[in-house]
Amino acid sequence: MPYFKDADEVYAYIGKLFQDLAEDEELSPKFQKADTIVQYHYRNPESIITVSLREDDPGRVDCGDTTMEPEVVMTMDADTAHRFWLGKVNVTVALARGQMKAKGPVAKILKLVPLTKPIFPRYRAILEQSGRQDLLDAA
Amino acid sequence: MTGLASDPLARQMTGFKDFYQYLSTTRVISGRDLLGSVGFEFLKEGAQRVFVVTDGVIRGTGLVERVEDGVRDGGLEVVGVFDDVPQDSSTDVVEACAAAAKEAGADSFLAIGGGSVMDTAKVADAVFTHGGTARDQEGFLLMPRENDGMGRPLDIAPLACVPTTAGTGSEVSMAAVIKDHEHKVKLEIADFPLFPRLAILDPETTRTLPPALAAATGMDAMTHAVEAYVSVDWSPHQDARSLQALRMIRDNLERAVETPEDDVARGNMLIAANIAISIALGSVHAMSHPAGAHFNVPHGVANAIHLPHVIRFNAEGGDDIADRYRDIAELFGVESGGSGAEVGDALATHISATVERLGLPLTLSQVGVPESGIPALVEGAMGDGTTLLNPREPSESDYEELYKRAM
Repeated sequence: MPYFKDADEVYAYIGKLFQDLAEDEELSPKFQKADTIVQYHYRNPESIITVSLREDDPGRVDCGDTTMEPEVVMTMDADTAHRFWLGKVNVTVALARGQMKAKGPVAKILKLVPLTKPIFPRYRAILEQSGRQDLLDAA
Repeated sequence: MTGLASDPLARQMTGFKDFYQYLSTTRVISGRDLLGSVGFEFLKEGAQRVFVVTDGVIRGTGLVERVEDGVRDGGLEVVGVFDDVPQDSSTDVVEACAAAAKEAGADSFLAIGGGSVMDTAKVADAVFTHGGTARDQEGFLLMPRENDGMGRPLDIAPLACVPTTAGTGSEVSMAAVIKDHEHKVKLEIADFPLFPRLAILDPETTRTLPPALAAATGMDAMTHAVEAYVSVDWSPHQDARSLQALRMIRDNLERAVETPEDDVARGNMLIAANIAISIALGSVHAMSHPAGAHFNVPHGVANAIHLPHVIRFNAEGGDDIADRYRDIAELFGVESGGSGAEVGDALATHISATVERLGLPLTLSQVGVPESGIPALVEGAMGDGTTLLNPREPSESDYEELYKRAM
């Protein structure tokens, strides 16, 4: 059974994490160095988060429909995304096993991978503040 | 530090590996006088109407005609020859190649050449089989599959490779790199169907290889073997290949460069390059890819320049990493005791001396890279996928320092 019951839950937690990062004055400029638009296409439940990481553009995150045209598309189960943000997924292994699939100039986002490690506690905190210990325990 | 299953982000350089997968699906034939039986062997892989992919230089040596004769001798038909592959192939070349194969009514591809030729043939085969553009093929494990993309990948037309350099290993790899001039990027394509069905290793194919090219491609093979052995994505399967490749490179590379008529050395280098190849690489490749993209530094030359500096950097990253370099140092007969820094320095010094004897450049400035280019190189290296597989995590400032040392 998937961790999230519907797309709204994905947006409430993973989407909120992206929103928080876009508004973070210290972290946002580091991610914008990628100068791209990334779309995360999640399965089970079907959900889409599109993130603008443009250097000349304020951070923008669209949950669901978007007018942004992604340059990189990352496809994975929402469960994999949840486990990734909890620090429980090795990206290179996930790519090798096909648990994460990447389309487009993947190098642009691979260089962001080392920047994500300090963010894992933030995702955990979002879940804790939302009273979703069940999602923490399940992963 | 030894990573445990409970900490998937930790580096794990020893013990029982938490996860790896190993594939090597290409049938490899190695030996003398094989060119006459290319058709006999390719027929077993389902080929009937063969489309040959090569470049003008190789064609000028007469090798292509000899292989064509071998194809026909097996009862197969050569329906066309595409010899327009440049040193660094690109999306427009791939699409022209696929269109020409379609026009000729081909049912299979035969690549005769180095890495650029073989990568062109791989991606052209994918476009030929599945349609679309070269850019549509980009990605990791993204080729069409059964069961809504989750099942077995769909085959592409049979592909055979006859490598004419001993370095790239593309004839047995599932990866291809193609330049996209319009978007100024290198497209990386990797999936299981890109493993060629057949690779033919015959020292006759490298007989006319210029010594400088033999040296550079040989250092590419050495770099594959060293990086795969110390990568965080190491595996016991690849370890066995890397160490044997390094033994063969140790015993044959300089001979093959100094005495090109030595077909034993050339043949053994073809095999060494073939077993050294891996997609589990590291910071040497991360540094060399942008050096090629921005300053056209030949890949093998760039690897030869960067390898000693990355060894010194990595070997100071922990005892578990240093111990892997210790194995390589021992194999080369280099002093392998002492601290990580000491074994790294001893091995790096040995490799630099080899590079010098091979007559290759030792610095980036010798190949026209200016200091002002370092920021762009650092950005490229940080964004290269192989950075994630390096045993010691490099920062931007680490890469900046490594490039400065390589100047």
